[in-house]
Amino acid sequence: MSKNEKDKNEQPLKVVGKPFRKVDARAKCTGQTKFADDIALPRMLYCKILRSPEPHALIKTIDVSRALKLPGVHAIITGRDLPIPYGILPVSQDEHAICIDKVRFIGDPVAAVAAVDEDTAFDAMNLIEVEYEKLQTVTSIEEGLMVDEPRIHDYGERGNIHKLVSLEFGDMDEGFAEADLIREDILFYEGNTHLPMEQHAALAYFDTDNKLTLWSSTQTPHYVHRALTKTLEIPAAHIRVIATPNGGGFGGKSDPFNHEIIVSKLSMITGRPVKATLTREEVFYCHRGRHPVLMKVRTGVKRDGAITAMDFQSFLDGGAYGSYGVASTFYTGALQTVTYEVPRYKFRGARVFTNKPPCGPKRGHGTPQPRYALEVHLDKIAEELKLDPAEIRLNHLVKPFSVTANYLRIGSMGLGRCIEKVVEGSDWKDKFSGWDKENRKLPFGKGVGLACSSYICGAGLPIYWNNMPHSGVQLRLDRQGGVCVQCGSIDIGQGSDSVLAYIVAEVLGIDPFDIRVLTADTDLTPVDLGSYSSRVTLMTGNAALQAAERARELLTIAVAEKLSVPAENLSFAERRVFDVENPEVGLSFAEAVVLAESKFGTIGTVGSYTPPRSPGHFKGAGVGPSPAYSYSAAVAEVDVDPMTGIVTVERVWIAHDIGRSINPMLVMGQVEGSVYMGLGEALMEEMAYRANRNVVHKFPSLLEYKSPTTLEMCDVKTYLIEDADPNGPFGAKEVGQGPLLPVPPTVANAVYDAVGVRIDEVPITPEKVLYALREKSKGREGRFGPKSIPEVDWPQPLKVLTPEEGGDGREMPHVAVHS
Amino acid sequence: MRAYLPDYELRVPKDLEEALAFLANEPGMWKPFAGGTDLMVLLEAGKLEHTKFFSVWNLAELRGIEVTDESVTLGALTTYTEVRRNSILQEEFPMLCVAARETGGIAIQNRGTIGGNIVNASPAADSPPALLAYDAELELLSSKGARKIPYKDFHTGYKQMKLRDDELLTGIRLPRTTKSLRHYYRKVGTRKAQAISKVCFAGVAKIEDESVADVRIALGSVAPIVLRCEKTEAVLRGKSVDERTISAARAALINEIAPIDDIRSTAKYRLRVAANLLEDFLKTVRDGELN
Repeated sequence: MSKNEKDKNEQPLKVVGKPFRKVDARAKCTGQTKFADDIALPRMLYCKILRSPEPHALIKTIDVSRALKLPGVHAIITGRDLPIPYGILPVSQDEHAICIDKVRFIGDPVAAVAAVDEDTAFDAMNLIEVEYEKLQTVTSIEEGLMVDEPRIHDYGERGNIHKLVSLEFGDMDEGFAEADLIREDILFYEGNTHLPMEQHAALAYFDTDNKLTLWSSTQTPHYVHRALTKTLEIPAAHIRVIATPNGGGFGGKSDPFNHEIIVSKLSMITGRPVKATLTREEVFYCHRGRHPVLMKVRTGVKRDGAITAMDFQSFLDGGAYGSYGVASTFYTGALQTVTYEVPRYKFRGARVFTNKPPCGPKRGHGTPQPRYALEVHLDKIAEELKLDPAEIRLNHLVKPFSVTANYLRIGSMGLGRCIEKVVEGSDWKDKFSGWDKENRKLPFGKGVGLACSSYICGAGLPIYWNNMPHSGVQLRLDRQGGVCVQCGSIDIGQGSDSVLAYIVAEVLGIDPFDIRVLTADTDLTPVDLGSYSSRVTLMTGNAALQAAERARELLTIAVAEKLSVPAENLSFAERRVFDVENPEVGLSFAEAVVLAESKFGTIGTVGSYTPPRSPGHFKGAGVGPSPAYSYSAAVAEVDVDPMTGIVTVERVWIAHDIGRSINPMLVMGQVEGSVYMGLGEALMEEMAYRANRNVVHKFPSLLEYKSPTTLEMCDVKTYLIEDADPNGPFGAKEVGQGPLLPVPPTVANAVYDAVGVRIDEVPITPEKVLYALREKSKGREGRFGPKSIPEVDWPQPLKVLTPEEGGDGREMPHVAVHS
Repeated sequence: MRAYLPDYELRVPKDLEEALAFLANEPGMWKPFAGGTDLMVLLEAGKLEHTKFFSVWNLAELRGIEVTDESVTLGALTTYTEVRRNSILQEEFPMLCVAARETGGIAIQNRGTIGGNIVNASPAADSPPALLAYDAELELLSSKGARKIPYKDFHTGYKQMKLRDDELLTGIRLPRTTKSLRHYYRKVGTRKAQAISKVCFAGVAKIEDESVADVRIALGSVAPIVLRCEKTEAVLRGKSVDERTISAARAALINEIAPIDDIRSTAKYRLRVAANLLEDFLKTVRDGELN
């Protein structure tokens, strides 16, 4: 399906690769887009959710009688009204829409009110009396590993350990024995949150025909649909989920949420529409953001920097629920192998429950943390070997169209070109001081750093096991020449609606703004799994391409017959279907549809996409495989003020291997947005807790959760590397998440170049920089970061021979070990 | 969680006299509401304990910047935006303009007032260090009459100040004695705008014959109140700015301030940065690079 600059009749591409505006741009820019909270229905009630002020407690009693008597209150529900658990992953069905007998973090729901207006609901909420019996809290990775009782959940590995993973690919002893240098580093990446502009909102209406409709700002309407049918015990066929345009998602709207289930239940009870719009404080409690991860990486290398073996351990603070956590745990160990050759690889990961808001997927899901660790680690290895950071990477790149030690199938691989671009663009060679600190190229306080990364273009497996397509597109052509694309995918601002229009317009030779795009409505659109894992452009793009090509085929047959032109001569462009050899012989697109409809009946086609099977077949092989991998490389130039420790990122050069841009303007927007978000994580953002044994969010508000403003945002020079991937529509790969990944390590490496201290903990705050500078000035190690990792009784690793060793992707049979 | 709005009362007096009557008739019951930039944050967080307010926003008597030969007097309702744009302040009290520019964002600068910044009594406020360094004097008014108090004597402890229950802050008087001074202001926050300071430093000095003829230093976010550092000033006065003096001044400052660990930073960081800023201030005024 590889497509290059020309379509199949050698016509240049008219839409793909062009910087068209988004199909929904004007509505967004003029404030006309209807977000979930903008929707109001007659007789609508407002919902408020009472949340636990206790981080870990048993609910002894709940008394709603006073609240129920308040005029204007229509219904109050508690956990007993919604007894069925749910959760995004089949293996972690550990949430209740409202807690039944136990709360697990400050912010866990304990009751919900529906009332005539928000103030009444609020007032009623304050009249609900809850009696708690406090339990000991578990608040850190170390405690989660050590404290077995009380358990936050009664499932998982043991005690408060949710998940342990242990995988080994190839002969590690042999790998380390081959090394000229073995280096170990321990690093920590603090948790942070998505901070979408739009707070979550949901409106439910259970109508008089017993059909439920939910409008919600969700990235995953299909999974919400499944959670509703499970928890509400009504047939899926009676539920319609409409995902409204998301005012930012970044992974924070990918779980089914309690407020979605709560408003649905309240509407079923009251027979009236019920809406909940979360406050910013509640969004901090919903969280599902970046896991705090403590990491240890041990790597063996040859003198030239070639890796001989890598042993990676990660420890995740999961917060109070499972969410995507099992997948997150695997992701902290999956993509280390897809940038540079890692012939033998071992990964161990542990996720613990703690009494804090649950962590989940945030842009880059589980991979920015290990990527930061790996790229800083590699910088330190380069220093020990006296190699240039760009060279050590360039010389050992993973090969395109190869299979890694942990059985990930690489497709196109443009990282080398990415590195070359940023090295050239940033004048790296004239700025990077090298490892000789006496001969600086930039003055003390100024420095450059380099880092790379890769990300998946869609998860290779769906969240629940099935053999169906991951994305479906339905195309309707009407006799007036109108085209409607229907797809379950949801535009979260990234432009997925536009991508659907561009691809269909390209194939049918019409204007993308002629196309009606109808998405994310479970009654009207075929299933798409959702806007997560950077899957939409590749997967819905391929489905749209298939549907459009099928429609084009029907039109071609009808037109060829009418014009007596060989079918292969027909081309579609500028709203016409014409003979390429004789362009004046042709018809308008609308006339072509009329011909096709006359011949075949109503014209509608479908397309679907299922990712290729992964070569890995061991337990745990489900996380990491993808139809394609995007690549990024970045150089940051920083200024570090030794007086205050403040790090100012002055400029970032970033190159991204996009395969092919469907719309280069949107691609650049995603790259710059990723750099912005990456800078926030690198420099200041943290979900920090304090007081009461570190369970109270330090301030669940934008007042103290600091993210960069326009004044912190640096100049970004973006380079797009276009090398079509055979699995992408027109060769396209992802861009929504990948370009965030190199940013934190690039900044950390640049800080080292600028002032000679290693900040092995993200965010790189002025406090940490000043500490490390002071340590260095006193002759101690100029470093801030964790010094050790906890002891864990890891399970026996699951061993898999690498492809190089002749492995078949399956687990080796267990052999009894005699000591 | 946001407070429940019907629990609160906001009245709008028609003139200053009526405003003072609120304070006089029910002492301690009513509090003035100016720009609301601090109060609304507390309301949203559900932490606004006081419930009865009267708005002073419309009181023309508290607005405007009055200039005489001896002084510049800011009405208590002077907004940061007005401070930023005032040419005399830019020329003679530049630190105040920098402080105004670095307070909050544009919207906050349009609503927030200098008077509110003072009586909110936050130790992390941005304009008070500049006002302290400029030897400001406060004008207070009650239905019983007016009085003046040096600003450096005003704050007595965390959120404590010498403001009687029946008094309203009406104006801030700045003596026009700054022409021979060198000014140094630096706010250190998590980011360049819309961040409450971790450390805020304001200093003025007069250097004559290479020694410190006059110096006034004030810091924010390093003690329960915005602190005028008179002990550090004493160490500097009459000395030439050399390494020994700098070192002695650093030691004096570290003894004089009492920062804490809080949600924004750590005591250690604040101590080090305060001392580093002092050193930078001294070197800058000595070398005459600034203002």
